[in-house]
Amino acid sequence: MIKRLTMPTVLAVVVMMLVVACGSSSTSPSPASSAAATPGASASAEASAPAESEAPAESEAPAELNLPAVPTGYTELDAALGADKPYEGKKVSIQTQWTGGEGEGFANAIADFQKATGIAVQVDSIGSSHETVLKTRIEGGSPPDMAALAQPTGVLAYANDGKVVDVATFMDAAKLMADFPSTIGLTSDGDRIWSIPTKADVKSMIWYPVKAFAAKGYTVPKTWDELVALSDKIVADGSSPFCASAGGPGTATGWQLTDWVEEVLLKTEDPQVTNDWISGKIKFTDPKIKAAFDRVGSLLFKDGYVDGGGPAIVNADMKTVMDPMFTDDTANPGCWMQKIPVWYGPDFFPDRRTSGTDSKYTIGDDGDIGIFPFPTISDTFKGAEGSADSFMVLNDRPEVRAFAEFLATPEGLKGWITSVGVLSPNVRVPVEWYADNYKLKVANDIASAATAIGFDASDLMPPEVGQGSFWTGVSDWANANGTNTDTVLQAIDDSWPK
Amino acid sequence: MAVDRTQGSGSYGTSRTVLVGSLVGLVLAAIGVTVLIDKEGGQKLLASIYDMLGNAAGAEALRNGQGDQFFAKLLLAAIAMLVGVGGIWLLFTGVSSLIERLRPQVRDRILPLVFITPAVALLGIYLVYPAVVTVIGSFQDGEGAFTLANWASLATPPFLEILRNNILWLLIATSGSVGLGLLSAALFDRIRRESLAKIFVFMPLAISLVGATVIWKFVYAWQPPSQPQYGLLNAVWTAFGGEPIPWATQFPINLPSQMMILIWLQTGFAMVVFSAAIKGVSTEIIEAARLDGASERQLFVKVIVPMIRGTIVTVTTTVAIVTLKIFDIVMSISGGRNHDDVVAVRMFAEMFQFFNDGRAAALATVLFIAVLPVMVLNLRNFRRQAAM
Repeated sequence: MIKRLTMPTVLAVVVMMLVVACGSSSTSPSPASSAAATPGASASAEASAPAESEAPAESEAPAELNLPAVPTGYTELDAALGADKPYEGKKVSIQTQWTGGEGEGFANAIADFQKATGIAVQVDSIGSSHETVLKTRIEGGSPPDMAALAQPTGVLAYANDGKVVDVATFMDAAKLMADFPSTIGLTSDGDRIWSIPTKADVKSMIWYPVKAFAAKGYTVPKTWDELVALSDKIVADGSSPFCASAGGPGTATGWQLTDWVEEVLLKTEDPQVTNDWISGKIKFTDPKIKAAFDRVGSLLFKDGYVDGGGPAIVNADMKTVMDPMFTDDTANPGCWMQKIPVWYGPDFFPDRRTSGTDSKYTIGDDGDIGIFPFPTISDTFKGAEGSADSFMVLNDRPEVRAFAEFLATPEGLKGWITSVGVLSPNVRVPVEWYADNYKLKVANDIASAATAIGFDASDLMPPEVGQGSFWTGVSDWANANGTNTDTVLQAIDDSWPK
Repeated sequence: MAVDRTQGSGSYGTSRTVLVGSLVGLVLAAIGVTVLIDKEGGQKLLASIYDMLGNAAGAEALRNGQGDQFFAKLLLAAIAMLVGVGGIWLLFTGVSSLIERLRPQVRDRILPLVFITPAVALLGIYLVYPAVVTVIGSFQDGEGAFTLANWASLATPPFLEILRNNILWLLIATSGSVGLGLLSAALFDRIRRESLAKIFVFMPLAISLVGATVIWKFVYAWQPPSQPQYGLLNAVWTAFGGEPIPWATQFPINLPSQMMILIWLQTGFAMVVFSAAIKGVSTEIIEAARLDGASERQLFVKVIVPMIRGTIVTVTTTVAIVTLKIFDIVMSISGGRNHDDVVAVRMFAEMFQFFNDGRAAALATVLFIAVLPVMVLNLRNFRRQAAM
């Protein structure tokens, strides 16, 4: 039932430019954000901002608040931000999977909205059982007012069942298309829009220990050959180059390996190949897909490249897999490189994870842990991989509309961007907001340099493949150190719903 | 309302009090239900109480979703309990007092129905209805049209593998628990500190399945050969010169590893029941067997085991049902991604991750059908024992 709705939609849009790819120069900061527009703005710039702004008497939306300037272009949001606060005392509930730093970031993003409108937003952060709880609530007939989902296929399945409110009925569809040119189409059939992208991730990055690299005289690899050469050098020096895990969070086992394959495919073949692969036109057993598997296998399963080989990848938990990198305060890493998306960060560093206090390790090119773009493989195809969470509106009430509209504005995510750090899929978000955040800046650079951005392929395949047999398959594949590629690919093909 | 019915069942006056009391109670229950149905009933009720007490500010705050929300919730909980418990009480007393006014012949015929109806209705709503809907759902596609595709897909290799795993669970985990339970019960029967020994075997039963799995994950933990092994089993294994083995995540060793967890839990249960049964075997019979020259082994196999056959069937069927429904252990170990998937885990994945409600329903039906004969066996055995 899913595939009918998904595939045409997905085909049309997948490999368009995602999010931030639209380059730094073309963004048009909204008026309210002008104070923050100085790159590398310090406390002094902030202090001088009110003096510069032309209308300090306007208490409607001061630059410090994470609120869009009225008129916002959205009816209910304009009303909600009005002086008479028509929705004061109303409640809106939203269910998300964001906990920890992400939960904190989202809370920051919506704090000013609640103050300004008097609408109380109840955030249910469910964490790893989010999808189960959500399905129970939706099918039980008492859904939250809104819900965030990482997989577009899930949104489309609920939409197909008639459980989702078409946001185009109350929001300007053309405006949404313009603001989210690459991501809105994932859950839209052109007329109806089932969800609005909230948060984007760039996956084409590798995290590494900066100081240890410098001490050993390693340089950041720019190409696949350099990556292999560096890996050989690390092995020769008596360590293991890669930290890789196919475990977690929860039972989401295998996504890191599927990401590797998807990444290599985008960097070796035309984006159309990824498209056709998602839609099922190209099978897993196709030579092009197999070549991507083989290339990943030649790296991760090569003797000594991952400590313990393939079975170690299956056994390692996503939360702890990078711990060896921190041996002797990153001076003697047990593994040197991990490919993991931009949402990764200090939440997962060993000291913070075990103590709950802030990590003493810093992220940055001159910090403890740095990030470099995934090396290029082909000269022609330099695609990058991304993904996006989006939220659905499940109950249609004016105050819910207002909150949904708020989240669709650039300012709807500003509090999260500038505090914990997150990428917005909204192209109207000025790049300056990312300037102070190292990992967001790197992600932005990666996306800008990419020739194409591919959306996480496994998230767009039918779920029984994308989160089922594909995950089981790569787990199988890793357990056998990549010796059973053909069997695994055939098994995944066989599981594709007819 | 508190009327002592034992005294007044005959007298007209008390009966009328009961009737009036019931009516008043029903009205109160109806009010309670209206408060419960309203989403903000608790706040509104407390706000009106505050208004009556003259606390206008508190009432206003409550209506705006602030103020003493906690007390509003407490109030709601109290009402729910009163309506729930009181409602049932009212139903029985009220209706039976009404029926008692009828002629004895009619009364005796209707009265049992009154008492059984609520139970049957609840069973129907919560058991029969969902079961029927599930079976129907297994024959429907996403649009609700009739299809056999859900059932046909169960014959494909991945699902046959799942069924195979369930059968292995049924055979190995059940026989393991029952066998070890019987053995330890028989052996502990002969030692001095019997209860102490039994406590150690019985204790794991107090641990939840997920908790036990977490404990065993530490036993099975695997580290690359270059790292120190913190997993108990691998620490011992490597100390004797072996290569570390991923016990819990590599097929096929992961199947017995996971079954071991259930056996560890269920052996205690089997042991306790068997132990009681063995003690129930009369000493005269055992003496007689000994006098006839039976060896200890013959005594156990030919006398004790046949004597406790009913108990063995009951324990076996109970453990068998647990193994057929096995979910928690597989889910917590890996989610069934290493060729160790079972019906219940796959049913969950089909339902909540793959959005294949029809196939999930088919799997649920398979599970239901598989458990059914075991249940029947158990019930029959139970009835035979009751008759004895």
